[in-house]
Amino acid sequence: MMQSSPLNARRIFIWIGRLVLAGIFIYAGYAKLFLPNFIPWPLFALRFSLSTNLSNFAVQVESYKLLSPGGVSFVARTLPFAEIILGLLLLIGWQLRIWASLITLIMLGFLSVVSRAYLLHMNINCGCFATPEPLTGMTVVRDGALLALALFMTIFAFIEARKPHPWSAPEKA
Amino acid sequence: MEVFSDFQCPACKTLFTTTNRRLMDDYVSSGKVYLVHRDFPLPMHAYSRVAARYARAAAQIGKGEAVEQALFQNQEKWEQNGDVDGTVAAVLSAAEMAKVRALVKGGTLDAAIDKDYALGQTYRVNQTPTTVFHSKGQTYPFSGVMTYEILKQFLDQLLSQK
Repeated sequence: MMQSSPLNARRIFIWIGRLVLAGIFIYAGYAKLFLPNFIPWPLFALRFSLSTNLSNFAVQVESYKLLSPGGVSFVARTLPFAEIILGLLLLIGWQLRIWASLITLIMLGFLSVVSRAYLLHMNINCGCFATPEPLTGMTVVRDGALLALALFMTIFAFIEARKPHPWSAPEKA
Repeated sequence: MEVFSDFQCPACKTLFTTTNRRLMDDYVSSGKVYLVHRDFPLPMHAYSRVAARYARAAAQIGKGEAVEQALFQNQEKWEQNGDVDGTVAAVLSAAEMAKVRALVKGGTLDAAIDKDYALGQTYRVNQTPTTVFHSKGQTYPFSGVMTYEILKQFLDQLLSQK
């Protein structure tokens, strides 16, 4: 029988990856929806503040000059919610391999678009956390580091899933 | 509505060209909404204060809207070479331009720009454009670009409040 410890290096790495990436994804989605405008009452002001924040995010998506107007609108209206949901799923850990793989693919997409913008010397904001943040070499490095974290977390999650769970009952001889 | 804006900021250009021009036609011209331009030249932009001076000078001779439009529409050109004067001169007559240049050289416009900037700081403006709505004693500050359709819904709600 393969032995598995609840606290080996890979499991610690998976935990760190889950906490860091979940925190970043949830904050990124939250920032796009609620920053800088958030007026909870009256309801029409709340709706306006959310719409305005999504409009601002759409402007930032459009500045990458990659998508049609329809594509920009779709990404702006879905990405913040997707980031929050994926962050929560990663935090919960249910079906970890699926969500970790999806987050790795999304990080690969983010890294591709920011690298392209950086190499083309596009003078734009990153749009990563909704607030104005110029896209620089540091943005590329940061996204690269997060992609590496997501990739190793996913690989380790697949490796660990092949082993019996450390808290499961021992196999009978 | 007070719009804290920077002539060199791309998002301010977007707000002006896509939303505020339609707003002026549909709400400001009919007197439903008062729209006030406030200068908030960000230190990171080399020519935004110069542009603000020219726009203020033009406003003093009744040509503010035309110059504001010219500055935003040609933003990519003058921010490269700093030729704010040439951009403004293209939409004014020689006599009007002479008055504008005299006002700009007079050096009295910076005080008004600084006053707008200080007012923005009281509203905690930290990015441009920021629009501050005032209605029936309530204040709603919003940062960034909003589409005309979304703005229209908001204004109609505000105007329907008793």
